[in-house]
Amino acid sequence: MASAFRTSALRTAASAFKTCARPALAAPKIAFLKPQPRIAAFHTSKSLSILPPGRQVIEGTINDAAPVPESNPSHGSYHWTFERLVSVGLIPLTIAPFALGSVSPVTDAVLGAAVVIHSYIGFESSIIDYIPGRKHPTAKKVFMWILKGSTVLVLVGLYEFETNDVGITEAVKRVWKA
Amino acid sequence: MSASILSRTALRASSSVVRPTAVRTLASVATSQSAPAEKKANIKKFEIYRWNPDTPEKKPFMQTYELDLNQTGPMVLDALIRLKNEVDPTLTFRRSCREGICGSCAMNIQGSNTLACLCRIDTSSSAPVKIYPLPHTYIVKDLVPDLTQFYKQYKSIKPYLQRKTATEDGKENRQSIADRKKLDGLYECILCACCATSCPSYWWNSSDYLGPAVLLQSYRWIADSRDEFKAERKMALENEMSLYRCHTIMNCAKTCPKGLNPGQAIANVNPLTSPYL
Amino acid sequence: MFSNTTFRTASRLSSRQVSPLLKSTSVRATSSSFPAQTRSAGTTSENVTQDQAHSILAAQRKLRPISPHLSIYQPQLTWYLSILNRITGVALSGGIYVFALAYLAAPTFGLHLESATIAAAFGSLPVAAKVGIKAAVALPFTFHSWNGIRHLLWDTGKALDIKGVYRTGYVVLGLTTLSTVYLAFM
Repeated sequence: MASAFRTSALRTAASAFKTCARPALAAPKIAFLKPQPRIAAFHTSKSLSILPPGRQVIEGTINDAAPVPESNPSHGSYHWTFERLVSVGLIPLTIAPFALGSVSPVTDAVLGAAVVIHSYIGFESSIIDYIPGRKHPTAKKVFMWILKGSTVLVLVGLYEFETNDVGITEAVKRVWKA
Repeated sequence: MSASILSRTALRASSSVVRPTAVRTLASVATSQSAPAEKKANIKKFEIYRWNPDTPEKKPFMQTYELDLNQTGPMVLDALIRLKNEVDPTLTFRRSCREGICGSCAMNIQGSNTLACLCRIDTSSSAPVKIYPLPHTYIVKDLVPDLTQFYKQYKSIKPYLQRKTATEDGKENRQSIADRKKLDGLYECILCACCATSCPSYWWNSSDYLGPAVLLQSYRWIADSRDEFKAERKMALENEMSLYRCHTIMNCAKTCPKGLNPGQAIANVNPLTSPYL
Repeated sequence: MFSNTTFRTASRLSSRQVSPLLKSTSVRATSSSFPAQTRSAGTTSENVTQDQAHSILAAQRKLRPISPHLSIYQPQLTWYLSILNRITGVALSGGIYVFALAYLAAPTFGLHLESATIAAAFGSLPVAAKVGIKAAVALPFTFHSWNGIRHLLWDTGKALDIKGVYRTGYVVLGLTTLSTVYLAFM
């Protein structure tokens, strides 16, 4: 309880408490308030690139708990851990070739693959966030398959670039210094 | 509040009683001045979101009111109550304790979610005070959001003590002081929904993502040493949406009117980051 | 839809059948100093079943608007940097995807996307354009990288209070500026 008082008290005690000048028995002046409510047109929020929310639909009554989805760690904590491992791994993979100068095709390929995996995870997260599966199941499926298909093609393209051309880090170096 | 009751009774009495123009309160002292000088009116504008379910085809709009701050209490809730009592009785909002503990008056004031009873009216600036309902919620009327989904999600995490075994001596579920300390910063949540409705992830996925408030309470029960269903509680979060739509945006911690940190609690659900698990 | 003033009691919280209320009789308050409570003319209440009440509520819910969000929420470092992280990530990955797909499709469409061609084309640009393009590429890359490290720091549980979020946020912005300038002029 004390912490509740501390936090809320700290917030409210930021400035000195102003007492209202309200004489206890003076004649209340109703006239000081001139009711002049002005009505301004309200600009409804832009939908931007986010899909509109749709009508409110509640399944069941307020007393029914929201459904708990099926547990699957590969979609939960394992996915989270894998995502973090890839992100952490990207740091040395990106810095090393440029800091150490020399590049081996193997590390370059690993960097390329890691970047593509990281991009896939990022795109997938965006699709899940902005195209809710509950309201737009087909749209979400379509976008996910476009993502999967293009990721495979990107990996093929990366392989081609690695074998036919100089590799990612070398190419970046050459263009940057051109 | 009392001033308005006084004003109503005075109104009814004014037809039969001569209204005194200047009244000396009990504690005042006779001076050479005839009447106390009137304080110059400090007018503040309030722009408030309005929508009436009785005329649903009319789109929501902003209505501007003016109040003399010298006659109003310091908090936004004081202003709203005065507006409802004396200017526009149709203005609708939730309120109860007026002291920041019930969570009823949660709304979006000047862009961030807070409790109206704890939010001081800015007297230094002349800009209008903009009051909106909690963001991305379905509106019942004016500033009243429908929090049904929020409550259903809270119920889904089973926010009560669950045991598999009886206590050793069959008496209370005991807890050490150190274990009780782990609940500080978690139990104080008043479920006002300020944090959940400040989270963009919750805006886009209210039906599946549980949101910071419910996840903080979920962690409150995971971290409770007396609870024996820790594994089951964590297993309930092992899916794509319930917990893992959190992208550490941290709007929740910034907006919490009680100073709690849901972002930290969500990170603590993960055994890799939790200091206690 | 609600032009007739029949008030229906669609209770959200009751789990039992809604009981009929007093029909258009005034209820006098006990205290004489308060105005007597009355129901204005033209309103009645009626007996509805649980299912009827639920369907009335569902019909009301369909008409409700959504309160504004992005347009009115206070600009803050918290969500601004977060959305910037996503935008820079999508832009960078999108660029990589487009280039890789274009590289695969290049022979079919007669494009020349070898590193030597690109380097030569880039080298022929004026210095100002080169610095500009390098800055435009370095900015999202450095921001996303530094903010990514900030995210990984959060994943270890550190700096997750508001002070930490803001401090690390400003550090990321500072490092982004410095590294973009460095890379652009390199």
